[in-house]
Amino acid sequence: MINLQRSVSSALTIAEIEARKIRHDSTELWMRTVQPALWLLVFGEVFNAVRSLSIPGYSYIQYIAPGVLAQSVLFVAIFYGITIVWERDVGLLTKLLSTPSPRLSIVVGKALAAGVRGIFQGVMVFALALIIGINLRFDPLDVAGVFIAAVLLAMCFASLSMTLASFLKTRDRMMGIGQAITMPLFFASNAIYPVSLMPVWLQYISKFNPLSYGVDAIRSMLLTGDYSALPVDILALLLSTLFFIACASVVLKRLIE
Amino acid sequence: MLGFVPQAISVDGDLTGYENLLVFAKLFFVGREERKQRILDALEYFGLADRANELVKNYSGGMMRRLEIAQALVNRPKVMFLDEPSIGLDPYSKKQVIDQIRELNREFGTTILITTHDMAEADVLCNRLAIMNMGKIAISGAPADLKHSVGGDVLTVKVAGQAAANLPTGLGSVISSEQGTIKILAEDGEAAIPRLMEYFERNGAVVESVSLSRPTLDDVFMKYAKASLQQEGTFRDARSARRSIARHGR
Repeated sequence: MINLQRSVSSALTIAEIEARKIRHDSTELWMRTVQPALWLLVFGEVFNAVRSLSIPGYSYIQYIAPGVLAQSVLFVAIFYGITIVWERDVGLLTKLLSTPSPRLSIVVGKALAAGVRGIFQGVMVFALALIIGINLRFDPLDVAGVFIAAVLLAMCFASLSMTLASFLKTRDRMMGIGQAITMPLFFASNAIYPVSLMPVWLQYISKFNPLSYGVDAIRSMLLTGDYSALPVDILALLLSTLFFIACASVVLKRLIE
Repeated sequence: MLGFVPQAISVDGDLTGYENLLVFAKLFFVGREERKQRILDALEYFGLADRANELVKNYSGGMMRRLEIAQALVNRPKVMFLDEPSIGLDPYSKKQVIDQIRELNREFGTTILITTHDMAEADVLCNRLAIMNMGKIAISGAPADLKHSVGGDVLTVKVAGQAAANLPTGLGSVISSEQGTIKILAEDGEAAIPRLMEYFERNGAVVESVSLSRPTLDDVFMKYAKASLQQEGTFRDARSARRSIARHGR
């Protein structure tokens, strides 16, 4: 019991470190809002005019707002491995591992830290949506649910990134792999177009893409209000997050070897 | 509980000094009540209190090192490992770090294990030290004993006039004597100076200068590390010789 309590408190402390850093310097996160802004303002506006993309009942920009939110969280999280490699390089990781905190809580803490950044991104996309005047459901419970989904998404991809970092070990390689997998993850999801428009083979791939479930969950809360698929979405997201957290905790030690 | 201070400075530059101590105290499960007091004490103790709320990336190297030792201190370890604690520091910061390490041992009874390449640092800090060579302990013991083992103090005396080539027992033994420069090996060099002066003057020689050189841990290192390097050499030689004999024998 005391162990569980300690594990949770360690994980929260590691996330707290991230929050404190963001409080000291949030420049990077502000710059990261440029991209979702472009997706909404440029991509969204232009493709609003494309008729075959029209989604019954909603404008295209409404449709992609949840996708853009999920995407900005994905982009923050998928490069989280670089932070870990950097922390390894300056000796911070070794020091973390030398504390009595279990390795699992270090991984969960780091994933939560990515979640903290994800929340920041979420707030930014919400702000953008308000400014542009995108008509979304701003029900407090839904908004809270969106943030939970965003944190799960961030944790999922940050753990994936940490797992990859444990094998690739350098920042340059992480940069490369990050670039290589973000776009496929993004395009093989329902973030900017419905799955039904995809070729059949891509539809199957999309079924194994955690991002699709994240987007679906966020979209149901933010846009449609149709919660029928929500339990499945959250469960799929939760399972893939747990899976990658388990992977990262098993292999993280490789990073300092 | 163990404390660990790695060679590379590994405090978090994006946090303040206070936060660096705070998060580590939390990760070491130092209770909420003690935490704050210990952190404030440590900051005070290491002379960082006035800059506690500044980002660590603006600290000097010496301050970072002290913060790092403070970090290890907050969880009150019984044993603390320091890897090259004063590497890359200016002489002043180095002295501060060394003084504080010594205080740590004296005040809290922390057992401190240091690895260092700096023989002078090892000399002033350690009660016991071991010289490692090729991953093995070449020799270990108290610094004074080790220095003693490479020989006593060497006095170089310059005299004008004829000097005796032999010294009475108890004063020391002459290593070399040429053109009025006499090298003498003595047990306790400092104490031997006045007695030697007196001896020479009594024997009609005028002492122009005396210099004392004491063995340092560098000498100890050279002696034992070199000795084992040579051993290694002969071992390899022997092995290759054995092999070549075996080849030729077939």
